[in-house]
Amino acid sequence: MTLADLNLQPTYAEIFVLGAACFILLLDLFLSERWRGLAATLSLATLVGAALITAFVSGVDVRVTAFNGMYVADPMGDLLKLFAYAAVGVSLLYSREYLAQRQLLRGEYYVLVLLALLGIMVIVSANSLLTIFLGIELMSLSLYALVAFNRESGVAAEAAMKYFVLGAIASGTLLYGISIVYGVTGTFSLDELAYVLRQGDVDNIGLLFGLAFIVVGVAFKFGAVPFHMWIPDVYHGAPTTVTLFLGSVPKIASFALAFRVLAYGLGGAQEAWTDMLTVLAVLSIVLGNVVAIAQTNIKRMLAYSTISHVGFILLGILAGTNEGYRAALYYTLVYVVMAVGSFGMILLLSRKGFEAEELDDFKGLNARSPWFAAVMLMFMFSTAGVPPFVGFFAKLYVIMAVIDQGMLWLAVVAVLFSVVGAFYYIRVVKLMYFDEPQDTSPLMAGASMRLVLSLNGLAVLVLGLMPGGLVDAVARALP
Amino acid sequence: MVVEILFYAFAAVLVGAAVGLITSRNPVHSALFLVLAFFTSAAIWLMLDAEFLALLLVVVYVGAVMVLFLFVVMMLDINVEELRRGFTRYAPLGAVVAFIMVVEIINVVWVRKLGLELAQAAPPLPVDYSNTEALGRVLYTDYVYPFEIAAVILLVAIIAAIVLTMRHRPGLKIQNVASQVAVRRQDRVRVVPMESVRRPAQDERAAGEEGETP
Amino acid sequence: MITLYHVLALSGVLFALSVAGIFLNRKNVILLLMCIELMLLSVNFNFIAFSRFLGDIGGQVFVFFILTVAAAESAIGLAILVVLFRQRRSINVEELNTMKG
Repeated sequence: MTLADLNLQPTYAEIFVLGAACFILLLDLFLSERWRGLAATLSLATLVGAALITAFVSGVDVRVTAFNGMYVADPMGDLLKLFAYAAVGVSLLYSREYLAQRQLLRGEYYVLVLLALLGIMVIVSANSLLTIFLGIELMSLSLYALVAFNRESGVAAEAAMKYFVLGAIASGTLLYGISIVYGVTGTFSLDELAYVLRQGDVDNIGLLFGLAFIVVGVAFKFGAVPFHMWIPDVYHGAPTTVTLFLGSVPKIASFALAFRVLAYGLGGAQEAWTDMLTVLAVLSIVLGNVVAIAQTNIKRMLAYSTISHVGFILLGILAGTNEGYRAALYYTLVYVVMAVGSFGMILLLSRKGFEAEELDDFKGLNARSPWFAAVMLMFMFSTAGVPPFVGFFAKLYVIMAVIDQGMLWLAVVAVLFSVVGAFYYIRVVKLMYFDEPQDTSPLMAGASMRLVLSLNGLAVLVLGLMPGGLVDAVARALP
Repeated sequence: MVVEILFYAFAAVLVGAAVGLITSRNPVHSALFLVLAFFTSAAIWLMLDAEFLALLLVVVYVGAVMVLFLFVVMMLDINVEELRRGFTRYAPLGAVVAFIMVVEIINVVWVRKLGLELAQAAPPLPVDYSNTEALGRVLYTDYVYPFEIAAVILLVAIIAAIVLTMRHRPGLKIQNVASQVAVRRQDRVRVVPMESVRRPAQDERAAGEEGETP
Repeated sequence: MITLYHVLALSGVLFALSVAGIFLNRKNVILLLMCIELMLLSVNFNFIAFSRFLGDIGGQVFVFFILTVAAAESAIGLAILVVLFRQRRSINVEELNTMKG
């Protein structure tokens, strides 16, 4: 075997991100306190470089595999990766001042973020249950460390411990499922698995047994009810910059995980996993939207909102058609844009020694800054699914895909609880516009953050008014 | 026959160790039960012709990971009694969960045989079979991509462990070998020339005072 | 003669015991970490048995990676545990209730 057999060209982006992360790690050792910000700048440059490589050097029009079939590059993977770079870049831009004010602006933070991104890229391009597992672990281990990154915070350590224990149990469950599926089919290559299941008998008891464990593992990683216990505590306890990262980009990996493992590899057993996902999706949509109403902490509220969005993504996947997968992909991408913006607003309002974590901190935002109150209004309306914002179309496509499959009752539940959910998003808008501010200090954020956050807010509106571009991109990714 | 007896013996010890692990009152005992479980597992893996992994389990797991566990248990001053309270409250729940899972798993893998029709006996291995060689042949060729990712995972573990636990406390006493080696005699020892005159009265008084101080 | 199903049943018992251990020791984080190790051990049994009876080395390679990852995982888990202990002077999970909602 030679190096050429490995077909390295599609993997240049991964190699570049890994090399850059190692370089930043080493460089940071020799930087004095004054140059601390250099790691942030270099990380952004890394993301731009990786985006250029994915778009122009290693991008593919057709599906190709590399590393003996362990790695797959396809248009969907490229689209997900480009979105991941953009979301990580925007989240790093939002994070810089917050980190600097809390003495957390250290090179290791950026290295861990880049390595978590690498894990997400590995999952997105995985073509074997082995690489899926290793990608999940690479991402999760980096995230555990990031959640605990602020060592002075007891809440963060507690959140990290909960996240770690539940994440490790999820990995164990997933592995048990993988081992059974390996035993029944004799392979863990997703290509061969898809082939074997198309040929053989999918009602095999062993296969269903393994599948159930795999679905539990995937649901844990998604944070779908009843495996959602970690989400509110982790979102609440982690430093807000980490919550921003954790709440947005890993959802791309979760979608890729579900798509690669369930829709592609175990596609032959679709009937079996559709039923399991239906339960998870319905519970997530119901519980997420109802419990979010009772929250007073905005990070917890957004956490429960995440759970309900996970339900919608699962709804698209369980439709099991190409339209369903497209709708789920579209929903995931739109969700990432909205989540980055919503958590970015919390960072905008926080300052040295003050975390804008409570809903009350948003009171009277209109009096303090009419423009950012409008931006937050766009995020909240879009997340609630109010037209003409992009969140409406995301929900619409998912519901259409479900109705096409004749699952009308699912669509009714989804719509009903979206309306319930709209209540708590609109409550935030009411606080901003009709209540007196508790805190009248001006916003402290720098120009770059204000600019990017404004663009982020406008993106939610523009994508909603002109949904064609993203819809076309998604259609190209999943032809 | 001998193989079967050995298997059942090791399996019994293994299950016993696992039960001890989850019910023990003391984390140190639990850690030692886990070590026992790893040793018996290694023995069973040897019977399944997985020599390399069996040795790896003993060397890496017992030798490194479990020692790390024991270090942490000993380093942290854990109040064992406080942790045990409430144990009995969850015991029935745990027993029920374990029982249901055992019944389910045995039903699927033992009674219904996973729906598989694999040969009862393992396929025979060639006479000159080397498990280590077989693993080594594929690890750096077919599995080079997972191998590289595993390397990155270990890097993440190193970074995370250092970032989370290393502290620069003020007043920490560190040995500086270079400056210890580079020290010269005149930095440390000062020869003070003194008169060699003896004053017996003062000496005795000093000795008496020293004796009194505790 | 040991068959595949002997090993799978043993691994199933270990897996169930590890889950029971997680329920029993919900308060004690260090025991939770050990139960997770036990869970991974039971998975490794499955892989090794399948690898032997299918005559495919792939299962053993998977175990190799599980061992690597589990070592990294315990390093990070114990690091988080140390951070937590420095904050709380306790590893009791029931005291981990600062966050509610």
